[in-house]
Amino acid sequence: MTNVYRPADRPLSPHLQSWGWTVTMASSITHRATGIALYGGTLLLLLWVWSLALGEEAFTFVAGIMGSPFGVVVFAGYAFAIVQHMFGGWKHFQWDLGYGLDYELAKKTAWAIYAASAVITFGLLIAGLNAKGA
Amino acid sequence: MAHKGTSTFVMQRASAVVLTPLILWFVASVVIHAGDSYADARAWLASPVTKMLFGALITVGAFHMRIGMHEVLADYFHGSLNRIFNTANWVFVVAVVAATWLALFSIGT
Repeated sequence: MTNVYRPADRPLSPHLQSWGWTVTMASSITHRATGIALYGGTLLLLLWVWSLALGEEAFTFVAGIMGSPFGVVVFAGYAFAIVQHMFGGWKHFQWDLGYGLDYELAKKTAWAIYAASAVITFGLLIAGLNAKGA
Repeated sequence: MAHKGTSTFVMQRASAVVLTPLILWFVASVVIHAGDSYADARAWLASPVTKMLFGALITVGAFHMRIGMHEVLADYFHGSLNRIFNTANWVFVVAVVAATWLALFSIGT
């Protein structure tokens, strides 16, 4: 058996740039992107829990970063990633059970997840800043 | 991971189900404790219930994100590069879980 590499024989998946943009596609990409972001984001949770373990000086330093404008932006992004990924997971669960696969409904679901995630992130941001007493 | 597709599929969803209440608890906790002093935040984390829930969140989360990253790696990397990244994936999640429990134990009660 000789294996001759002939790429022309196999169909190629269309390149990302040649797809027409759809909200379901964006939702799928967002799910993966937020998953990857949360993967890296665990390091922030680790930083926070270790700052508490190490003592007041470390905690004050980390809390200072978290309370800065940069920290607030990171918090909002983190909250959005969590909420979006959780809703995306529920959507996949629903699909796995055989519901909500109709395309028109799937488009509405994708938009609803973006909208709900944005609203909840905003709510969490306000509630967090309020609790912080800013 | 050959011949384990179905169990991986099931485990990813099972861990997602466990993660949902843990995430809801954690997000609510972070918002409530946003302005805590060191003493308050430490007292909160030092409680056994908080430790168990936070430890569970990171442990189950690590389990879930290892599978997710494995799927991402399978899409973009092949051959030895794939094996290297998957090893790194394992090392990362195990390190995160170990470092979390170490911090939780060192906080005491």
